[in-house]
Amino acid sequence: MSGRIIEVNQRKVQVLERGSGAPLLYLHGFADVHSVKENWLPFHEKLTERSRVIAPAHPGCAGTDENKDIENVEDVVFHYLEVLDALKLVQFDLVGSCVGGWIAAEFAVRHPEKIRNLVLIGAPGLFVEGALIGDVFMMAQPEYGSSYASLREMLFAGCDQVNALDMFPDGKGELEDEVRRYQMLRLSSRIGFKPPYFYNYSLRNRLHRVTSPTLVLWGEKDNFVPRSHGETYAKRIPGAELTIVHGAGHSAHVERPEETARLILEFLSR
Amino acid sequence: MKPVQLFCWHFMAYPYLDKDFDEKEYTGWVTVPNRLWDNGKTRGLYQEYIDQLAYADDLGFDGMVLNEHHQNIYGLMPSPNLIAAALSQRTSRGKIVILGNLLPLHLNPMRVAEEYAMLDQMSDGRLIAGFAPGGGPETFNYDVPSANTREKFWEAADLIVRSWTEDGPFAHEGRYFPLRYVNLWPKPLQKPFPPVWIPGSRSPSTMTEVAKRGYCYFLSSRSHGGETHRAQQEFAAVLEKHGDKYHPFRFGILMSTYVGETDRQAREECEEGVWYFLKNCLKGHLRREGRQLTYGPGIPYIPAAAWREYLKSYKPGRKLLGDVENWDELDASQSIIVGSPETVTRRIQNLIEKAKVGNLLIQFQLGNMPNHLARKSMKLFAEKVAPALRHDSFTYFDKEYPGVTLERSMEAVH
Repeated sequence: MSGRIIEVNQRKVQVLERGSGAPLLYLHGFADVHSVKENWLPFHEKLTERSRVIAPAHPGCAGTDENKDIENVEDVVFHYLEVLDALKLVQFDLVGSCVGGWIAAEFAVRHPEKIRNLVLIGAPGLFVEGALIGDVFMMAQPEYGSSYASLREMLFAGCDQVNALDMFPDGKGELEDEVRRYQMLRLSSRIGFKPPYFYNYSLRNRLHRVTSPTLVLWGEKDNFVPRSHGETYAKRIPGAELTIVHGAGHSAHVERPEETARLILEFLSR
Repeated sequence: MKPVQLFCWHFMAYPYLDKDFDEKEYTGWVTVPNRLWDNGKTRGLYQEYIDQLAYADDLGFDGMVLNEHHQNIYGLMPSPNLIAAALSQRTSRGKIVILGNLLPLHLNPMRVAEEYAMLDQMSDGRLIAGFAPGGGPETFNYDVPSANTREKFWEAADLIVRSWTEDGPFAHEGRYFPLRYVNLWPKPLQKPFPPVWIPGSRSPSTMTEVAKRGYCYFLSSRSHGGETHRAQQEFAAVLEKHGDKYHPFRFGILMSTYVGETDRQAREECEEGVWYFLKNCLKGHLRREGRQLTYGPGIPYIPAAAWREYLKSYKPGRKLLGDVENWDELDASQSIIVGSPETVTRRIQNLIEKAKVGNLLIQFQLGNMPNHLARKSMKLFAEKVAPALRHDSFTYFDKEYPGVTLERSMEAVH
């Protein structure tokens, strides 16, 4: 296992940490460190050029203990309050991708004073009428016995992309990658698979409470969280801006790692 | 001791699909377009199916089996309790087995406790109460989150049984279904409570929970190679660990059969229904074609450690029952036993003795099998297969399980 284990409220939490500089808390999504890969992706490594990047694995993901009492995203926010205490992080930059972006947004409306800068990448979490968030759970069920093409299609701009095939191959992938994928789906099922599906109706009416500068990044062709969700985040968070990552799907940080990291680094350097 | 118990299971398939369904449609489950429902043809369908079950009662089957499915062509029983209510008034002898109500899909388990209690009263104590957690497709039918399904399921099942056995009102301080005034009216007729059957697919945790509570375990597999025997051994070992003893009536299996006058006639008569069942009804459930909803990481209901174990032996793209390509392959799967009374008797006897199983839940109507053929097969079975199975199984069980009394079995004791 990479990184280290910290103890938080009698539970183990796996944390990766690299770089020096201002602390940056990274919350992972589906195609990501902890949810597929054991270690940093090139995108994260790029961020470490400027920041001390800290990436905990969500409850039940990678080496972090499962918490059966987690029923909704609020419970995850509380979990992260305890993680922050354990890490002695008072103020930090917060970057969340995919489900991690939703958790980041929920965190930001509750504790805006802790966040220096906020970055959301393809984040679900909002109710936007007429723009359903995709059913990642059904897409995770194999087609034709062993194909995950439609899952890749949902999480990437194209199902045949090398980076997509690397993370979600057909058939059986590397065993521990498979287990991490499963763990992430299991956590997501706790907080996102029920009506409401991957959103918290109240969140959009709370977004005005965010006080930090905010960058909303969206892949040009996000088939999981429609772009109108990004537009809504950008519209409702004071001063936020929406930037489209061209050529990317839902997982911009994997599909366009250089550009996505550059956009974030530029934003953080302002 | 008693002989093998023979039940007639009806799934109530949608039988009116066009011949090109498999070619044209992606799935038979959850998202199978309901524009295919043809009201011009479906009038009287439920009546025909209910009549078949009532006929099973007339023929002397030990009971009738129903279960719950949603949004598919495999089984048109979103509420098996409605059919059970009808059967309670149409039949008078056999057990009515509901295997089962899918507890996590109910907002409040007391609804199940109440309806089962009503059915037990309405049927004069003939209910066998099945509880099931629901599988992959049902997860999508009702948007039931998977991770805590099992915990929710057992809380609901325990609450229902408590409401049947403990005087109310009492408060249930549960994690998922807290209730202030649990006070069941009506109570079930059978004492201490109706037999409880729980389906499982060989997961040790389900077997353990079943053993702890003294219930009957039903293997939900449709194929009966070596795994059925292994499941029996595993369950017996779990019972032993809990200070209990295995006997054949703690265990049940699902199988399908078609009995004809001769092997050849049997095959000719049932083949269309069988292929309809395999290729259409199982599409989305036990086939590789389309999207397979029953197994996969999208329904993460088992803990990650158990998933890791599952993956170690998992072969991507493996053939499922509905993927059989010819009759010989189907025959080898021991899923649908087709033949003359002699052939069927011999093969089922073999299965009973190998799997030491006392409850056979048998599907007769397959896919679009016409009414008269389903009834003919049931009649041949009842008259020419059942007597031998009963006789031989009695002798076999008596020899294999000497001294086993059935006091802890799930017999009605009223």
